[in-house]
This record gives sequence, C-alpha cells and structure tokens, in this order.
Amino acid sequence: MTLSLTVPDILVARAKAGDLEALEGLYRAFETPVYNLARRICRAPEDAEDVVQETFLEVVKSIRHYRGEGHLWGWIRQIASSKALMRLRREKLRATDEFVEETAGSPPASLGARIDLERAFAHLTETSRAVVWLHDVEGFTHEEIAEQMGRTVSFSKSQLARAHARLRRLLVPEPEAR
Amino acid sequence: MTMHCTMDDLVAVRDGEGSVSARRHVEECGECRGEMEALYQRVAQLKALPALRPARDRWHVVRDAITAERARRRRWTRAGLALAAALVGLMVVRPLLQSPLLADELAQAKLESAQLENTLQDADPEGRVVSGREAELTARLEDQIALLDGRLGQLSERALEEGQVVDLWRQRVDLMQQLVQVRVTRANYVGL
Repeated sequence: MTLSLTVPDILVARAKAGDLEALEGLYRAFETPVYNLARRICRAPEDAEDVVQETFLEVVKSIRHYRGEGHLWGWIRQIASSKALMRLRREKLRATDEFVEETAGSPPASLGARIDLERAFAHLTETSRAVVWLHDVEGFTHEEIAEQMGRTVSFSKSQLARAHARLRRLLVPEPEAR
Repeated sequence: MTMHCTMDDLVAVRDGEGSVSARRHVEECGECRGEMEALYQRVAQLKALPALRPARDRWHVVRDAITAERARRRRWTRAGLALAAALVGLMVVRPLLQSPLLADELAQAKLESAQLENTLQDADPEGRVVSGREAELTARLEDQIALLDGRLGQLSERALEEGQVVDLWRQRVDLMQQLVQVRVTRANYVGL
C-alpha cells in the first residue's frame, strides 16, 4: 500500500480552528488508509465504512487537542484502530470467531493449495486479523494492542503466532506444512 | 529427532524476544531459517497488498454531524444563558414561595435536572453514529428544553407565587429524562 500520508501544516491548523473545508481536506487525505485499516479488521465493508465515519467524527471532536507531536497519521490511526476494535467488541463476535476458526480448520476445496495471501488473511478470525494487521503492518506494539483490545500482552503475542501458523497452513500445501 | 522452532518461537525471534536456544537453532537449522524467511516474506506481502477503498463517500454524514453539533452548541449556549438568568431570578424571588412543600418540590426538580445534565455530560454521547430519527428527536427535545429555559427566565412574580415555576421545572426534568433516554440509554443499548 503506497499512499501519501503527509498533509500541509496549514491544513491542520485550519482544521483545528474548525474550518469545514480543511476538515474535509483531512477526510480526503486519510479516508483510504483509515478504511483500509478498518476493512482488514472488520469482516463487512459496511462496518469498515462506519469505522471511517466514527473515526472522523472523533478527529473533528478532538483535533484541537492534537499538539503536532508525531505524525498526524499516527494519531488518526490510533483512533481508527480503537474504533475498529471497539466495533469488534460491540458485536461480540468472539463467540463467532471460535466457530469460524473451527470451520476454517479444513479449508474448503475451492480454496485449495493455491489460495493467495489476501484470501488466506480474510480467512482468519477478526481478532487474529486485527493483531496481525496492527502489529506486523501498522507497527503497533503488543502493549498498545493489548490495551486497545482490553486483553493481555500474552494474548496479543499468542494470537499473532497462531495467526501466522494458520496463514502458513493455508498458503502451503498440507504435506509441506509443519 | 530434531526439535524445530514453533511459530511462537519464530515470531519471538523475529521480534527480538526469542530465547537464546531458539535464536541459535534458527541460525543453525536450514529448515527453520527457511520458515523465518517465509515469515518475513508473508509480512512484506501483507504490507504490499493494495489499499482497499470505500465504495461510498461518508463525508456528507460527517459534515452533517459537524453542522448539527455546532447548531446544538449554539442552542445550548442560549439555553444556558436563559437558565442562568432563571436561577438568578429564583434566588431573588425564592422567598415568594411560601409553601414549604412547593419549595421542596422545586429543590428536588432542580436537583434531578442537574443530575440528568451530568449524566448527559458524563456519557459524552457526541460523535456517535445515530439514526436520522434519533437525531431529529434529539433536536426536537433540545429545542423544547431551550424554550422552557426561556420561559423560566421570564416568569412573573405571580407565576412564582402560584407554583408555576415548579411545574415548569418538572416539565424540564421530564424532557431531560427523554433526552437522556435518546442520547445515552439507546447508545449504551447498542454498545456505542
């Protein structure tokens, strides 16, 4: 994913002052990365769109508190991941997660050995996807993930290892899989 | 039999947290080095996945929410000023409430109203996604409360004597309860 995530300081300053055009400028600049993050975690596109909406409502509400320390995308990304994980919790999908994991134990024949990474990733549970994406792609620490998920650091670490083991099994033909 | 690294070991070694024995094993075992390389490649491929883009533009929803919130703040500012004026008025004319019962009822209604205001503020329901119907209901209730606060600020001494002020405060409590129901209870119900 190659996106320009830099916005002019003047745009941020105007957004902090409540300028509607500047706020739209921020929305346009970060809409796709926020959606991408949310969509990698949430199963339904509509849920990811809701996360985008909730994230920017929070950005609008809180941007006056943003002090320009660190990259703006880092700040927005924190809000987006929090909203996405909150949505996971809210929908209480953990019980469903277990079911998905069980049924996904034997990949359907249509997936076969040539299943690509995107489809394999989509085959993980929401929790596993969230941990892999936030840790390995977005660069969150286990401590940050654990805090946002309301779980322990050990949980985040074990989810990451389990997810990679599962990805490996989905991507590598069974006789070769460890 | 050689004991290869588990995925937990590999991920830990990659993240600089693996045990000495696991690190040494990865260095010495070609198979586990291959697994480690595959792990790096998988993550690199994940990072290289094309960005997913939303099918629908939600900016108009965000913009409408900003506009509605600004209008709401303006209404509450006006209402707050009216309420402050009413409270000052009440302090001045409170001795006119001769009946101890009415005075107690007034104090109780004011207390309930303040508690409901606090509930609303503590819940911080701003920025949540609400349906159009709820947004409309919220705006209507806030308008009614603002209107009521305006009347409280303009009460005549006679109205105070007749206990009308108590009725108005009771109405305010009732409207505040409805507002809390819409803006807090429903949001909690759906887990927002």
